[in-house]
Amino acid sequence: MGESGSSGRANVALHPDDRHEEHAHSAIPYVVVWIVLLVFTALTYLTGKQHLGAWALFIALAIACLKSALVALIFMHLKDSSGMTRLVFGTSLVFVGILLFFTVADVATRFRPATPAGAPFGTERSQPEGLLEHELPE
Amino acid sequence: MSPEAASLPEGILAHHFASLERQNEAMPLGMWLFLATEILLFAGLFTGYSVYRFEFPLAFAECSRHLNLTAGTVNTIVLITSSFTVALSIHFARIDQRRAAVVCLALTILFALGFLGIKAIEYTAHFHERALPGKYYAFEEVKVPGAAMFYTLYFLMTGLHGLHVLVGMSVLTWLLWRTNQGRYSSRYYTGLELGGLYWHLVDLVWIFLYPLLYLI
Repeated sequence: MGESGSSGRANVALHPDDRHEEHAHSAIPYVVVWIVLLVFTALTYLTGKQHLGAWALFIALAIACLKSALVALIFMHLKDSSGMTRLVFGTSLVFVGILLFFTVADVATRFRPATPAGAPFGTERSQPEGLLEHELPE
Repeated sequence: MSPEAASLPEGILAHHFASLERQNEAMPLGMWLFLATEILLFAGLFTGYSVYRFEFPLAFAECSRHLNLTAGTVNTIVLITSSFTVALSIHFARIDQRRAAVVCLALTILFALGFLGIKAIEYTAHFHERALPGKYYAFEEVKVPGAAMFYTLYFLMTGLHGLHVLVGMSVLTWLLWRTNQGRYSSRYYTGLELGGLYWHLVDLVWIFLYPLLYLI
Protein backbone atom coordinates (compact mmCIF):
# COMPACT_ATOMS: atom_id res chain seq x y z
CA MET A 1 0.00 0.00 0.00
CA GLY A 2 1.59 3.20 -1.18
CA GLU A 3 0.09 5.54 1.41
CA SER A 4 1.98 3.86 4.22
CA GLY A 5 5.31 5.16 2.90
CA SER A 6 5.68 7.68 5.71
CA SER A 7 5.23 5.09 8.43
CA GLY A 8 7.65 2.61 6.89
CA ARG A 9 5.31 -0.38 6.67
CA ALA A 10 4.84 -0.17 2.92
CA ASN A 11 5.57 -3.79 2.15
CA VAL A 12 3.40 -5.49 4.74
CA ALA A 13 0.50 -6.97 2.82
CA LEU A 14 -2.18 -7.21 5.50
CA HIS A 15 -5.07 -7.38 3.07
CA PRO A 16 -5.68 -9.83 0.27
CA ASP A 17 -6.28 -7.13 -2.28
CA ASP A 18 -3.21 -5.12 -1.29
CA ARG A 19 -1.06 -7.35 -3.44
CA HIS A 20 -2.65 -5.81 -6.53
CA GLU A 21 -1.96 -2.27 -5.44
CA GLU A 22 1.35 -0.66 -6.09
CA HIS A 23 -0.01 2.89 -6.02
CA ALA A 24 -1.95 4.81 -3.36
CA HIS A 25 -5.58 3.78 -2.96
CA SER A 26 -7.71 6.19 -4.95
CA ALA A 27 -11.33 7.31 -4.48
CA ILE A 28 -11.72 8.32 -8.14
CA PRO A 29 -13.26 4.98 -9.27
CA TYR A 30 -15.96 5.37 -6.60
CA VAL A 31 -16.85 8.86 -7.79
CA VAL A 32 -16.99 7.69 -11.41
CA VAL A 33 -19.18 4.68 -10.53
CA TRP A 34 -21.50 6.87 -8.45
CA ILE A 35 -22.03 9.28 -11.36
CA VAL A 36 -22.54 6.40 -13.83
CA LEU A 37 -25.09 4.82 -11.43
CA LEU A 38 -27.01 8.11 -11.26
CA VAL A 39 -26.99 8.36 -15.08
CA PHE A 40 -28.29 4.78 -15.33
CA THR A 41 -31.01 5.60 -12.80
CA ALA A 42 -32.09 8.54 -14.96
CA LEU A 43 -32.06 6.21 -17.98
CA THR A 44 -34.23 3.65 -16.12
CA TYR A 45 -36.67 6.41 -15.18
CA LEU A 46 -36.88 7.87 -18.70
CA THR A 47 -37.20 4.55 -20.55
CA GLY A 48 -39.59 3.21 -17.89
CA LYS A 49 -41.96 6.14 -18.35
CA GLN A 50 -42.15 5.53 -22.11
CA HIS A 51 -43.82 2.10 -21.54
CA LEU A 52 -42.00 0.53 -24.46
CA GLY A 53 -44.15 -2.60 -24.48
CA ALA A 54 -42.30 -5.86 -24.91
CA TRP A 55 -38.92 -4.13 -24.69
CA ALA A 56 -39.60 -2.36 -21.40
CA LEU A 57 -38.79 -5.29 -19.11
CA PHE A 58 -35.69 -6.23 -21.11
CA ILE A 59 -34.31 -2.67 -21.02
CA ALA A 60 -35.10 -2.25 -17.30
CA LEU A 61 -33.41 -5.54 -16.38
CA ALA A 62 -30.40 -4.87 -18.64
CA ILE A 63 -29.79 -1.50 -16.94
CA ALA A 64 -30.34 -3.05 -13.47
CA CYS A 65 -27.81 -5.80 -14.27
CA LEU A 66 -25.24 -3.23 -15.45
CA LYS A 67 -25.76 -1.17 -12.28
CA SER A 68 -25.42 -4.26 -10.09
CA ALA A 69 -22.25 -5.30 -11.87
CA LEU A 70 -20.71 -1.88 -11.18
CA VAL A 71 -21.71 -2.01 -7.49
CA ALA A 72 -20.39 -5.57 -7.08
CA LEU A 73 -17.12 -5.06 -8.96
CA ILE A 74 -16.11 -1.60 -7.73
CA PHE A 75 -18.01 -0.76 -4.52
CA MET A 76 -17.88 -4.33 -3.20
CA HIS A 77 -14.31 -4.85 -4.49
CA LEU A 78 -15.17 -8.08 -6.30
CA LYS A 79 -12.70 -6.89 -8.95
CA ASP A 80 -9.87 -7.29 -6.42
CA SER A 81 -11.29 -10.30 -4.54
CA SER A 82 -9.92 -13.82 -4.43
CA GLY A 83 -11.16 -16.38 -6.95
CA MET A 84 -12.91 -18.25 -4.14
CA THR A 85 -15.04 -15.22 -3.27
CA ARG A 86 -15.99 -14.67 -6.90
CA LEU A 87 -16.91 -18.35 -7.20
CA VAL A 88 -19.33 -18.02 -4.25
CA PHE A 89 -21.02 -14.98 -5.83
CA GLY A 90 -21.10 -16.57 -9.29
CA THR A 91 -22.62 -19.77 -7.89
CA SER A 92 -25.45 -17.86 -6.20
CA LEU A 93 -26.25 -16.17 -9.52
CA VAL A 94 -26.34 -19.54 -11.33
CA PHE A 95 -28.88 -20.84 -8.79
CA VAL A 96 -31.00 -17.69 -9.08
CA GLY A 97 -31.00 -18.28 -12.85
CA ILE A 98 -32.09 -21.92 -12.46
CA LEU A 99 -34.86 -20.96 -10.01
CA LEU A 100 -36.23 -18.18 -12.23
CA PHE A 101 -35.89 -19.98 -15.56
CA PHE A 102 -37.59 -23.25 -14.65
CA THR A 103 -40.34 -21.61 -12.58
CA VAL A 104 -41.29 -19.18 -15.34
CA ALA A 105 -40.91 -21.90 -18.00
CA ASP A 106 -43.39 -24.02 -16.01
CA VAL A 107 -45.92 -21.22 -15.64
CA ALA A 108 -45.58 -20.17 -19.29
CA THR A 109 -46.40 -23.65 -20.61
CA ARG A 110 -49.54 -24.33 -18.54
CA PHE A 111 -53.00 -24.91 -19.96
CA ARG A 112 -55.86 -22.68 -18.93
CA PRO A 113 -57.36 -24.68 -16.00
CA ALA A 114 -53.94 -24.60 -14.29
CA THR A 115 -53.77 -20.78 -14.18
CA PRO A 116 -55.07 -18.73 -11.20
CA ALA A 117 -58.72 -17.68 -11.15
CA GLY A 118 -59.34 -14.53 -13.20
CA ALA A 119 -55.95 -14.64 -14.87
CA PRO A 120 -55.94 -13.73 -18.58
CA PHE A 121 -54.75 -16.49 -20.88
CA GLY A 122 -52.79 -16.67 -24.12
CA THR A 123 -53.33 -13.61 -26.32
CA GLU A 124 -55.45 -11.94 -23.59
CA ARG A 125 -52.19 -11.36 -21.73
CA SER A 126 -50.82 -8.90 -24.24
CA GLN A 127 -51.76 -5.33 -23.59
CA PRO A 128 -54.37 -3.88 -26.00
CA GLU A 129 -53.24 -0.55 -27.45
CA GLY A 130 -54.14 2.44 -25.32
CA LEU A 131 -55.90 0.44 -22.60
CA LEU A 132 -53.88 1.96 -19.81
CA GLU A 133 -53.46 5.43 -21.29
CA HIS A 134 -55.91 6.97 -18.81
CA GLU A 135 -53.80 5.59 -15.98
CA LEU A 136 -50.62 7.32 -17.06
CA PRO A 137 -49.31 9.92 -14.62
CA GLU A 138 -49.83 13.63 -15.39
CA MET B 1 1.94 -14.49 15.84
CA SER B 2 3.64 -12.17 13.38
CA PRO B 3 5.11 -8.92 14.73
CA GLU B 4 2.75 -6.68 12.74
CA ALA B 5 -0.26 -8.54 14.15
CA ALA B 6 1.10 -8.21 17.68
CA SER B 7 1.06 -4.42 17.38
CA LEU B 8 -2.58 -4.31 16.28
CA PRO B 9 -5.32 -3.24 18.71
CA GLU B 10 -6.54 -5.92 21.08
CA GLY B 11 -8.94 -8.54 19.77
CA ILE B 12 -8.54 -8.03 16.02
CA LEU B 13 -6.76 -11.30 15.25
CA ALA B 14 -9.04 -14.17 16.28
CA HIS B 15 -7.18 -16.98 18.08
CA HIS B 16 -8.20 -19.62 15.55
CA PHE B 17 -6.36 -17.91 12.69
CA ALA B 18 -2.66 -18.48 12.24
CA SER B 19 -2.07 -15.04 10.76
CA LEU B 20 -3.93 -11.83 10.04
CA GLU B 21 -3.42 -12.38 6.33
CA ARG B 22 -5.29 -15.68 6.51
CA GLN B 23 -8.04 -14.06 8.56
CA ASN B 24 -8.36 -11.29 5.97
CA GLU B 25 -8.82 -13.95 3.27
CA ALA B 26 -11.40 -15.89 5.28
CA MET B 27 -13.57 -13.02 6.54
CA PRO B 28 -14.75 -11.65 3.13
CA LEU B 29 -15.30 -15.24 1.92
CA GLY B 30 -17.58 -15.93 4.90
CA MET B 31 -19.40 -12.66 4.31
CA TRP B 32 -19.92 -13.45 0.62
CA LEU B 33 -21.30 -16.88 1.56
CA PHE B 34 -23.81 -15.12 3.79
CA LEU B 35 -24.61 -12.63 1.02
CA ALA B 36 -25.19 -15.57 -1.36
CA THR B 37 -27.88 -16.87 1.03
CA GLU B 38 -29.38 -13.37 1.15
CA ILE B 39 -29.45 -13.22 -2.66
CA LEU B 40 -31.28 -16.57 -2.74
CA LEU B 41 -33.72 -15.39 -0.05
CA PHE B 42 -34.69 -12.40 -2.19
CA ALA B 43 -34.61 -14.59 -5.33
CA GLY B 44 -37.56 -16.54 -3.87
CA LEU B 45 -39.62 -13.35 -3.75
CA PHE B 46 -38.46 -12.27 -7.21
CA THR B 47 -39.54 -15.68 -8.53
CA GLY B 48 -42.99 -15.28 -6.95
CA TYR B 49 -43.13 -11.83 -8.53
CA SER B 50 -42.20 -13.25 -11.96
CA VAL B 51 -44.94 -15.89 -11.77
CA TYR B 52 -47.71 -13.45 -10.84
CA ARG B 53 -46.53 -10.75 -13.20
CA PHE B 54 -46.64 -13.35 -15.97
CA GLU B 55 -50.18 -14.38 -14.98
CA PHE B 56 -51.54 -10.85 -14.41
CA PRO B 57 -49.54 -8.49 -16.68
CA LEU B 58 -52.27 -5.84 -16.97
CA ALA B 59 -53.13 -5.78 -13.26
CA PHE B 60 -49.43 -5.40 -12.39
CA ALA B 61 -48.98 -2.56 -14.89
CA GLU B 62 -52.05 -0.75 -13.59
CA CYS B 63 -51.10 -1.14 -9.90
CA SER B 64 -47.53 -0.07 -10.64
CA ARG B 65 -48.83 3.23 -12.03
CA HIS B 66 -50.59 3.93 -8.74
CA LEU B 67 -47.31 3.81 -6.82
CA ASN B 68 -45.50 7.04 -6.04
CA LEU B 69 -42.89 7.08 -8.81
CA THR B 70 -41.22 10.26 -7.51
CA ALA B 71 -40.73 8.70 -4.07
CA GLY B 72 -39.33 5.54 -5.63
CA THR B 73 -36.91 7.47 -7.84
CA VAL B 74 -35.71 9.70 -4.99
CA ASN B 75 -35.19 6.60 -2.83
CA THR B 76 -33.13 5.00 -5.61
CA ILE B 77 -30.87 8.06 -5.72
CA VAL B 78 -30.66 8.11 -1.90
CA LEU B 79 -29.62 4.44 -1.71
CA ILE B 80 -27.07 4.72 -4.54
CA THR B 81 -25.52 7.75 -2.86
CA SER B 82 -25.45 5.92 0.48
CA SER B 83 -23.61 3.04 -1.21
CA PHE B 84 -21.13 5.59 -2.52
CA THR B 85 -20.59 7.17 0.93
CA VAL B 86 -20.05 3.78 2.59
CA ALA B 87 -17.46 2.89 -0.10
CA LEU B 88 -15.80 6.26 0.60
CA SER B 89 -15.75 5.62 4.36
CA ILE B 90 -13.80 2.38 3.80
CA HIS B 91 -11.49 4.25 1.44
CA PHE B 92 -10.83 6.94 4.07
CA ALA B 93 -10.28 4.34 6.79
CA ARG B 94 -7.65 2.58 4.71
CA ILE B 95 -5.75 5.81 4.05
CA ASP B 96 -5.89 6.60 7.79
CA GLN B 97 -8.29 9.55 7.58
CA ARG B 98 -10.44 8.57 10.52
CA ARG B 99 -12.46 11.80 10.70
CA ALA B 100 -13.52 11.60 7.04
CA ALA B 101 -14.41 7.92 7.45
CA VAL B 102 -16.65 8.74 10.43
CA VAL B 103 -18.34 11.59 8.52
CA CYS B 104 -19.03 9.31 5.54
CA LEU B 105 -20.52 6.63 7.81
CA ALA B 106 -22.72 9.22 9.52
CA LEU B 107 -23.92 10.43 6.09
CA THR B 108 -24.72 6.83 5.10
CA ILE B 109 -26.84 6.38 8.23
CA LEU B 110 -28.64 9.66 7.49
CA PHE B 111 -29.39 8.49 3.93
CA ALA B 112 -30.72 5.21 5.36
CA LEU B 113 -33.02 7.17 7.68
CA GLY B 114 -34.14 9.31 4.74
CA PHE B 115 -34.91 6.17 2.74
CA LEU B 116 -37.04 4.73 5.55
CA GLY B 117 -38.80 8.08 6.01
CA ILE B 118 -39.82 8.24 2.34
CA LYS B 119 -40.89 4.58 2.47
CA ALA B 120 -43.01 5.35 5.56
CA ILE B 121 -44.79 8.17 3.67
CA GLU B 122 -45.53 5.73 0.83
CA TYR B 123 -46.80 3.03 3.21
CA THR B 124 -49.07 5.58 4.93
CA ALA B 125 -50.60 6.45 1.56
CA HIS B 126 -51.20 2.74 0.80
CA PHE B 127 -52.91 2.28 4.16
CA HIS B 128 -55.18 5.27 3.53
CA GLU B 129 -56.08 3.98 0.05
CA ARG B 130 -56.49 0.50 1.57
CA ALA B 131 -54.12 -0.82 -1.10
CA LEU B 132 -53.17 -3.65 1.24
CA PRO B 133 -51.96 -7.22 0.75
CA GLY B 134 -54.14 -10.30 0.29
CA LYS B 135 -57.65 -10.30 1.76
CA TYR B 136 -57.22 -6.80 3.18
CA TYR B 137 -57.03 -5.36 -0.32
CA ALA B 138 -59.81 -2.78 -0.87
CA PHE B 139 -58.24 -0.24 -3.24
CA GLU B 140 -61.07 1.53 -5.10
CA GLU B 141 -59.05 2.58 -8.15
CA VAL B 142 -57.84 -0.85 -9.27
CA LYS B 143 -60.43 -3.62 -9.12
CA VAL B 144 -59.05 -6.33 -11.38
CA PRO B 145 -57.97 -9.89 -10.54
CA GLY B 146 -54.29 -9.96 -9.59
CA ALA B 147 -54.16 -6.46 -8.10
CA ALA B 148 -54.18 -7.82 -4.54
CA MET B 149 -51.30 -10.11 -5.53
CA PHE B 150 -49.27 -7.13 -6.75
CA TYR B 151 -49.67 -5.39 -3.41
CA THR B 152 -48.93 -8.61 -1.49
CA LEU B 153 -45.64 -8.94 -3.35
CA TYR B 154 -44.98 -5.21 -3.10
CA PHE B 155 -45.30 -5.26 0.69
CA LEU B 156 -43.32 -8.50 1.08
CA MET B 157 -40.46 -7.33 -1.14
CA THR B 158 -40.19 -3.74 0.11
CA GLY B 159 -40.87 -4.94 3.68
CA LEU B 160 -38.06 -7.48 3.66
CA HIS B 161 -35.83 -4.92 1.98
CA GLY B 162 -36.79 -2.32 4.60
CA LEU B 163 -35.92 -4.80 7.34
CA HIS B 164 -32.49 -5.14 5.74
CA VAL B 165 -32.15 -1.35 5.71
CA LEU B 166 -32.87 -1.35 9.46
CA VAL B 167 -30.31 -4.09 10.14
CA GLY B 168 -27.77 -2.37 7.89
CA MET B 169 -28.31 0.91 9.74
CA SER B 170 -27.67 -0.81 13.07
CA VAL B 171 -24.50 -2.43 11.74
CA LEU B 172 -23.29 0.90 10.33
CA THR B 173 -23.98 2.67 13.64
CA TRP B 174 -21.88 0.09 15.45
CA LEU B 175 -19.11 0.45 12.83
CA LEU B 176 -19.24 4.24 13.20
CA TRP B 177 -18.61 3.81 16.92
CA ARG B 178 -15.71 1.44 16.27
CA THR B 179 -14.22 3.63 13.51
CA ASN B 180 -14.39 6.63 15.84
CA GLN B 181 -12.42 4.59 18.40
CA GLY B 182 -9.70 4.21 15.76
CA ARG B 183 -10.12 0.49 15.29
CA TYR B 184 -10.02 0.62 11.48
CA SER B 185 -7.00 1.98 9.65
CA SER B 186 -4.63 1.15 6.82
CA ARG B 187 -3.40 -1.72 9.02
CA TYR B 188 -6.80 -3.34 9.45
CA TYR B 189 -10.17 -2.48 7.93
CA THR B 190 -11.76 -5.85 7.08
CA GLY B 191 -14.46 -5.46 9.76
CA LEU B 192 -15.57 -2.16 8.25
CA GLU B 193 -15.41 -3.64 4.77
CA LEU B 194 -17.80 -6.48 5.72
CA GLY B 195 -20.36 -3.99 7.04
CA GLY B 196 -20.00 -2.11 3.76
CA LEU B 197 -20.64 -5.33 1.78
CA TYR B 198 -23.93 -5.81 3.63
CA TRP B 199 -24.99 -2.25 2.85
CA HIS B 200 -24.14 -2.65 -0.84
CA LEU B 201 -26.35 -5.75 -0.96
CA VAL B 202 -29.26 -3.64 0.31
CA ASP B 203 -28.55 -1.28 -2.59
CA LEU B 204 -28.29 -4.17 -5.09
CA VAL B 205 -31.74 -5.49 -4.15
CA TRP B 206 -33.29 -2.04 -4.53
CA ILE B 207 -31.68 -1.59 -7.98
CA PHE B 208 -33.94 -4.46 -9.14
CA LEU B 209 -36.98 -3.56 -7.03
CA TYR B 210 -37.17 -0.03 -8.42
CA PRO B 211 -37.89 -0.79 -12.11
CA LEU B 212 -39.85 -3.98 -11.33
CA LEU B 213 -42.28 -2.30 -8.92
CA TYR B 214 -42.44 1.34 -9.97
CA LEU B 215 -41.88 1.26 -13.72
CA ILE B 216 -44.00 -1.48 -15.27
